[in-house]
Amino acid sequence: MVKAVVGDETQLKLTENRLTRSAIPSEVGLVIGKLSSKLDKGFVYDLVPTPTNDDGEPPCSIIDGVGVGNGKKKGSSRAKSQPESSTLFIDNDWVSEHARQVSRMLLGGMKVVGIYIWVNETSFKNSAITLCQTVKGVAEAASLVETDWNERLLIHISYSPLRWTCRNCSLAANITSNSLRPCDFKMGKVLGSLHTFRCMYNFDVRLPLGHEDGQHIRRFADILRHGITIQAKELRSSKALIDGKLVIEDEQHASYDFHEVEFLLPFLQDKYVEACSQKEVFGVVLFSGSVCSLAYLNSKEPVSQALADIKEDIIMSLLSRLEMLCDEADREPESITDGGEDSSSQKSIDKPVPHLNLGAQRKQYNISFPRRVFVPWLEGTYICDYIQPSETVEVVKDHCVELMSMEAPTDASEILEPESEAPALITSTTKSFWDIAAHDSSAAKWDNSVSKKSRGSRNRISAKSADLNPMLAVLVVVLSIVVGLVLFLIRAA
Amino acid sequence: MGKEITENGVEIRILCRRLVILKKESGIQWLIGSPFLPSLTIVSTLRCLHTLGSESLSPDLPKESDDLRSLLPKGFEVIGALITDDRNVLKIEKIVGNAISAVRNLRKSLYSNDNDNQVLIGAVIDLKNGVGERDVRFFTSRARNSGSVEKVSTIVYEDQPEKFVWDKGCIVRCELPIRLPLYYPLNTEDVEGIYTQAITDVECKFRDPQVTYLIEAHNSHSTGGPQPIVLHGMELNPPEELPENAFSIETARESTVKSLACSYFFSETKDTMPFTSVEENADKILVNIMFNRSRNSLKPVAPIAEYYPATEGAKLLVVDHKLEVLCYAAKELLLMDAVSKLLIPALIDQLHSLKNKISPSLLAEHPKLQPYHFMPSGFLHPITVLYELSYGETEMKQVEARRSLHLRLGLPFDRPLLRVANAISLSRTKDNTGGNSTQKGSSLLKDVHHGIPSSGVSGGFVSLVQGSYEYYHYLQDGFDDSGWGCAYRSLQTIISWFRLQHYTSVHVPSHREIQQSLVEIGDKDPSFIGSREWIGAIELSFVLDKLLGVSCKVINVRSGAELPEKCRELALHFENQGTPIMIGGGVLAYTLLGVDYNEASGDCAFLILDPHYTGNDDLKKIVNGGWCGWKKAVDSKGKHFFLHDKFYNLLLPQRPNIV
Repeated sequence: MVKAVVGDETQLKLTENRLTRSAIPSEVGLVIGKLSSKLDKGFVYDLVPTPTNDDGEPPCSIIDGVGVGNGKKKGSSRAKSQPESSTLFIDNDWVSEHARQVSRMLLGGMKVVGIYIWVNETSFKNSAITLCQTVKGVAEAASLVETDWNERLLIHISYSPLRWTCRNCSLAANITSNSLRPCDFKMGKVLGSLHTFRCMYNFDVRLPLGHEDGQHIRRFADILRHGITIQAKELRSSKALIDGKLVIEDEQHASYDFHEVEFLLPFLQDKYVEACSQKEVFGVVLFSGSVCSLAYLNSKEPVSQALADIKEDIIMSLLSRLEMLCDEADREPESITDGGEDSSSQKSIDKPVPHLNLGAQRKQYNISFPRRVFVPWLEGTYICDYIQPSETVEVVKDHCVELMSMEAPTDASEILEPESEAPALITSTTKSFWDIAAHDSSAAKWDNSVSKKSRGSRNRISAKSADLNPMLAVLVVVLSIVVGLVLFLIRAA
Repeated sequence: MGKEITENGVEIRILCRRLVILKKESGIQWLIGSPFLPSLTIVSTLRCLHTLGSESLSPDLPKESDDLRSLLPKGFEVIGALITDDRNVLKIEKIVGNAISAVRNLRKSLYSNDNDNQVLIGAVIDLKNGVGERDVRFFTSRARNSGSVEKVSTIVYEDQPEKFVWDKGCIVRCELPIRLPLYYPLNTEDVEGIYTQAITDVECKFRDPQVTYLIEAHNSHSTGGPQPIVLHGMELNPPEELPENAFSIETARESTVKSLACSYFFSETKDTMPFTSVEENADKILVNIMFNRSRNSLKPVAPIAEYYPATEGAKLLVVDHKLEVLCYAAKELLLMDAVSKLLIPALIDQLHSLKNKISPSLLAEHPKLQPYHFMPSGFLHPITVLYELSYGETEMKQVEARRSLHLRLGLPFDRPLLRVANAISLSRTKDNTGGNSTQKGSSLLKDVHHGIPSSGVSGGFVSLVQGSYEYYHYLQDGFDDSGWGCAYRSLQTIISWFRLQHYTSVHVPSHREIQQSLVEIGDKDPSFIGSREWIGAIELSFVLDKLLGVSCKVINVRSGAELPEKCRELALHFENQGTPIMIGGGVLAYTLLGVDYNEASGDCAFLILDPHYTGNDDLKKIVNGGWCGWKKAVDSKGKHFFLHDKFYNLLLPQRPNIV
């Protein structure tokens, strides 16, 4: 249980100044930080206000208890003295959605660990249950993979007198008055003493699709989710090198503040096939690529924590990207439909690729995951975002402003783009099922020829301007899909 | 040992204690040496088993090299051949020529890039003129120069061969399970071809730049020991074979790792004498093979998922392999070379051995093959055997496999030395428990007669039980059998001997189980079960026959006074059979573990293990109380140990003729 919380002085003072100057009666937002079970301590890196919702309304407001309960006159009750019965209204769904989106942008060791509220003492006291519900909603939306955390922080900044208090909110099943417990809160140097751990994680797995497999995992997205789950398991049992040295004991790294992590996984033990099975397969999914990952560690935390964080970041990054693809597929209108075609063939085309039932597909499909980019955040730390093949760095700037309420980096070159676009088209046209099936992950033979061409150095996160190649590739992809589709339809007709 | 310069200045050093394992029959023995020991040092010998037709002197080289490749750890090699010939028709030069050419051809098929400068040994015994070790005549010849053969006249027998082998050498061990998925078209005939291709791909992967070798001392999982060393796949290749980009991710630290030798892991003061076992005395290095998911020469690419439908019917087959290899390396050998030149070839060889056994039943049920390592007593190095675990060990096929191994290694056929239970156990979990007492999961005292005071027979010849037993006595396991259970306890001790010698895996039966089996064979009525009735030597022989299939010899004497007369016979039993004897008869049951007998004076003593002891398992108490000790037929006070007015039955279990 968290007993003491330390917040980053610089950031919290900035927030405090902003709030006191704004003279708004209430504000809700997310607490970005880290809870350490080993130290019984919480760290707060920054507070991020939840933006106004799609209708332009703020996510929280004070409701005058005397007035009608549903009188939604936000911001109007800006009286100097609040009535005794005033309570808070919080748009829980909106705050949760904010938490969901923000947690996708956070790297290893940085989490949405709760909410903060800027409101007067009375309203706060009257709204304990509401606040607990918001905390719970946020916790569900930005769930941590590590499950041992059944508490989150609730930071209250009250004005007149200006005071910071922190409580931890238990996430036990039902909310009672006992859910909130005060904990020790102070400000100090937090962000400045963070250690950075960086890792490049490459994977190249083949997921066999068998006829006996349950119907439920035939959808492309589900197959990938299943694959990611196995990777998570594999990664959990891995060994790690930090700066080329095998990690044996839980020592503390005090000397440098930047570390390179390498993960060692079991050699030639294909976890993606079941033991001794002999079954018919209708296809194989080749899931490959790299995840660039960063994790931040507080100076007193053990190294094992950094490894856990970076593993979580790798898996969460994969899951987030898949989730984004699915979200987008859900939003996409079924636009490809051409009227007057054969209905049976239409059905399969209608669906966006992530939702395709691969069991019924006789042609190749691919899904390119969005690229991960790193955006400079506070005191040399980074947050991340994802860029779809069709997007540019501009969307990243929008996200930063909207979700993280930060100033967008003025120079696009400050945004790091370590991952390049997957060359999907090339592989899919030249390889058949048997090429893919016969060669297990990263067979040295045909990798060598490629590696000689691209004499790449180690993938330091280095500033690189967005080059045109991805854009070109995207265009080619789009064009070829259209052409392929037309050809297919002509043949089907 | 005096060294004298011979005409060719060459001397042969023999480490193994028995060089000639062929018994008065003509045949070939391979002589084994090591590149890490002085040239012309014979560490061990293996008999050639596969010959062409009935011709005992023409080895079937492909079969022999297959066998030797999986049997012999890397770091040992065939350096010569010994021929015994009983025909006496050929001149000795001709026989030597045959021996040299046999070994030359075997090496050609075993080691593809053989060193031409290797000196080979040809040795000959002419059975007409002599059969002993000292009758072997040695000759040498350079591998590439078949014409010149030189006679060796200096033979050095090493006094401390274990020290010689293990002071400067160590074991490199690696365990590696490999799971291979195989995709094949439904209409294909050639699944084996696909399997072979997959195995070839695996071979390449051992030297993949992303493969990482974690090397550590075998027993240093706690603090204090040397840090584990990390070797990367790219460091194993000679520089000219490196892809050009591989250098870019090499740090200064990594290049110093390259210059480390195996000795990095060992303290220098370690004493290997007396050498009891590989587990305890040999220095060992453990290598773990991992795949580095963070190193890639390619530019990182965002994840992509591609679906490839099978164009025709396709099936997936999964083949599991369990590899476990031991290699022998000189301590000054670079770790890099130990991995690259010993470990990887060893893994590849074992993988091929597994493949050859799995291939025929690829689409049926795969054999469950598991490598085991053995170092039978007298052997200086381990050997590796692949056993099929789908069947029981007593299955005829398995017994045959062990018999032929016994034959190859020159081991006796009446004791199981190569069963799974005899294998060297180097896995870490067992190391942690340590200690001999817990090794077999039993808390009973073992071999209590070690270190007891001598018998006092002057000029006597001591003959003892061979091997280990557990001491069973009254009141053990909280079972009160005081006054009636002594014969049961003696039987339990005897059965424990058979268990510990690996003749059986049957657990040691309780009193009730002993009674049960006597009822089952019809010797006793059902009411016998649960009773406190005594049993005697004859009942014991029934139970041994039923539970273990062991037959016994019985000696009757009408009076205890006659027992000393049987001493010669008992001594012979301990020499040839070596099993514990049960003494029953008139009153008390004892276990006899040995005799001390002076044939000239007739003076004798009996090593008695007394099951009537009722105390706790305290070795000091047992020895001081005389519960295990030498008993003279008549002690110094004139008291007779064996009663004159009682008869005695001696039960002599016979060592089964099994392996």
